[in-house]
Amino acid sequence: MIKASNLSVRLSGTQVLHGVNIEAAAGQLTAIVGPNGSGKTTSLKAIAGEVPYDGTVSINGHNIKMLKPWELALKRAVLPQSTVISFPFTVREIVRMGLSVGAKADAADTDRIARDALEAVDLSGFAGRFYQELSGGEQQRVQLARALCQIWEPVQHDEPAFLLLDEPVSSLDIRHQLTIMRLAKDFCERGGGVIAIMHDLNLTAMFADRMIMMKAGRVHATGHPNEVMTDAVMEAVFGCTMRVNVTPAGNVPFVLPHTAA
Amino acid sequence: MPRSEMVMGDGRSQSFAARLKSDWHIGDRSRLAQLLILVLIVVAAAMFAASIMTGAADASLSNVLRWLLGMEGAEQALSVRDRIIILDIRLPRAVLGLMVGASLAVSGAVMQGLFRNPLADPGLVGVSSGASLGAVLLIVLGSSFFGPLFAIFGFYALPVAAFVGGLITTLLLYKIATRSGQTSVATMLLAGIALGALAGAVTGVLIFMADDKQLRDLTFWGLGSLAGANWMKILSAGPIILVSLAVVPFLARGLNALTLGEAAAFHMGIPVQRLKNIAIVSVAASTGASVAVSGGIGFVGIVVPHVLRMVIGPDHRYLLPASALLGGTLLIFADMIARTIVPPAELPIGIITAFAGAPFFLWILLRGRSHMGL
Repeated sequence: MIKASNLSVRLSGTQVLHGVNIEAAAGQLTAIVGPNGSGKTTSLKAIAGEVPYDGTVSINGHNIKMLKPWELALKRAVLPQSTVISFPFTVREIVRMGLSVGAKADAADTDRIARDALEAVDLSGFAGRFYQELSGGEQQRVQLARALCQIWEPVQHDEPAFLLLDEPVSSLDIRHQLTIMRLAKDFCERGGGVIAIMHDLNLTAMFADRMIMMKAGRVHATGHPNEVMTDAVMEAVFGCTMRVNVTPAGNVPFVLPHTAA
Repeated sequence: MPRSEMVMGDGRSQSFAARLKSDWHIGDRSRLAQLLILVLIVVAAAMFAASIMTGAADASLSNVLRWLLGMEGAEQALSVRDRIIILDIRLPRAVLGLMVGASLAVSGAVMQGLFRNPLADPGLVGVSSGASLGAVLLIVLGSSFFGPLFAIFGFYALPVAAFVGGLITTLLLYKIATRSGQTSVATMLLAGIALGALAGAVTGVLIFMADDKQLRDLTFWGLGSLAGANWMKILSAGPIILVSLAVVPFLARGLNALTLGEAAAFHMGIPVQRLKNIAIVSVAASTGASVAVSGGIGFVGIVVPHVLRMVIGPDHRYLLPASALLGGTLLIFADMIARTIVPPAELPIGIITAFAGAPFFLWILLRGRSHMGL
C-alpha cells in the first residue's frame, strides 16, 4: 500500500500542495482527478520521490526517503506525461532499459518479458522502429511498456508493486485508451496497485476502484466513483453545472459535456 | 495461461511460432556492436604497429616485435639508432596518441550522455579552454604562486592544474545550462562559447604577462601536438587518464537511463546525483590530462561518438568502449599524417583533426536540422 500523509510542496516559492493525504491499496486502481493546476502531477511526483516535500510517503510501510533509488525502483515504476529523447534509440532498446533494474532471470527470459510488454501495449512489430519517429501516443505506450518491464511481477517477495501513471491515456485513441485501462486493471487484479492521473471522467468511472478529486492543492473528495461523481462535486471542483448520469446496466456514472450549463 | 493472452483485450493471442516470426530481433544492435568492438581492437592494434614502423628510419614489424619481446637474434637486426628512435620516440608517441585519442572520444561521449545532447563536446563547450587556462596559469604564475603545488604533485602538477580548470568550467556549464533536470541546448552551446572566450581572454592576459622563458614553454605546449611525447609525459598524464577511463564502464547503464531524463533515470533506480558527479569529474580529469600533455586537439570527441551511434546505436555499454578504440586509432592515424605529410617538418595534429572534423561537424548540424529541433 502507498500512503502519503500531510504532503506539502512548494515549487519556486508557490505553495502547490497543502497537506494532501493519498492512500492507494494493492489490488485497486486509484485515480487522481481534478482541474488543470490542482496539484495532481505534483502529488504523483512527491509520491515517486522526485520533488522535495514535507510530510511522509511510504510504500508497503517503508518510508521512501529511507530507500535507495534501486530499492524504490523494484517497488514502483513511473510513467511520465511525455518523454523526449535526443539519441536514436530503437523501441526495443528503450523497453529493455526497464529490465536493467534489480535481479532478473536469464537473457531469454528478459527477452520474453520485453516482447510481452510491447505486445501488452499493442505495439508488437514496433521493436525495430526508432522512438523519435513514433507518434506521441505510440511513444507514450513504449514508455508504459518500459515501466511495465521494471515491475513485471505485480507481487514480488510477497510485496505488491505499484504503477504510477501520469495521464496514461490522454494522448491515445479510444481503442488504445481501453487497452491501457484494461492493462492497468489487470495489473491490479494480479495483486499490484495503480495510481493514475486521469482527465477522462467517464473512463475513470468505468475503471477506477477509488477516485481522489483534487482542487487547488487539496483533496476535495475521495471514495468510489459512485460517491465522488455527483452534480455537487462537479460544480464545486470544475465550476460548471453538469448532470451526472448512470448507465442503465451496471450503474456506472457518466457525464456528458453537453449537459453543462 | 500466459500473461500476454490475459492482457490482450480483444482476445487475440499469438502462437509461439508466430511470435518468432515477428520482427522482435530487428532493433537489436547488440550483436553488431560486439562484433564492431572486436574489429576495432584489431584495427587499433594494426594502427599502433603501423605507427611504430612509419617514419624516416626503417624498421620491419617482425624485427621490432622480436626485439621488444626480447627474442634471440633480433638485437642485431636493428641498429642502435633505430632502437632509440623506436623506444624513446615512436613508442611513447603511439602510446600517448592511443591514450589521448581514447580519452578525448570517451569524454565527448560521456559529456553528450550527461547533457543528453549529441552536440556536447569538451572542446566545443569551453571545457578544453578552461583546462588550458589551468595549465597556462601554472606555467606563468607557477614559481611565484604555486610553489607548494609543484612540491606536492611533482610532475603531476600540470595535468592536475588542467584538471581543476576543466572541472570548474564543466561545473559552471552544468549549473548554467541545466534547470530542474532539463538541459537547454542553446544555453549550453552559448554558455560554452562565453566560458571558452572568458578562459581564452584570461589566458591571453597571462601570455601577455609571461617572460621569455615562460613564453617558450607556452608555445611549445600549446601547439596541440603529440610531437613532445616521451615516457615522462605518459607517466604524468597516464594514471589520470586510465583511472577516468576505468570508471566509465560503470556509468554506461546510468547514462542510458539518463537519456530519458533525470526524473526517469531516478524512477528506474539510478542514483542520479552520484552519476552526474562521477561523470563530470571523469570528463574534467581526462580532458585536463589530455590538454596538459598534448594541447588542444579538437573534434575527436564529437565526431567519433557520432559516427559510432550511426552504426551501433546510442547504447553506452557499447558506445563507450567503441569510442575509446576508434578515438585512439584515429588520433594515431592523424599523427602519422601529421609527421609524414610535409617531411621533414611536422604539422600540429590539431590542424589535421580540425580539417577533418570541422566539415563533419557542419554536416551533422545540417543533417540534424530537420529532426533534432536544434
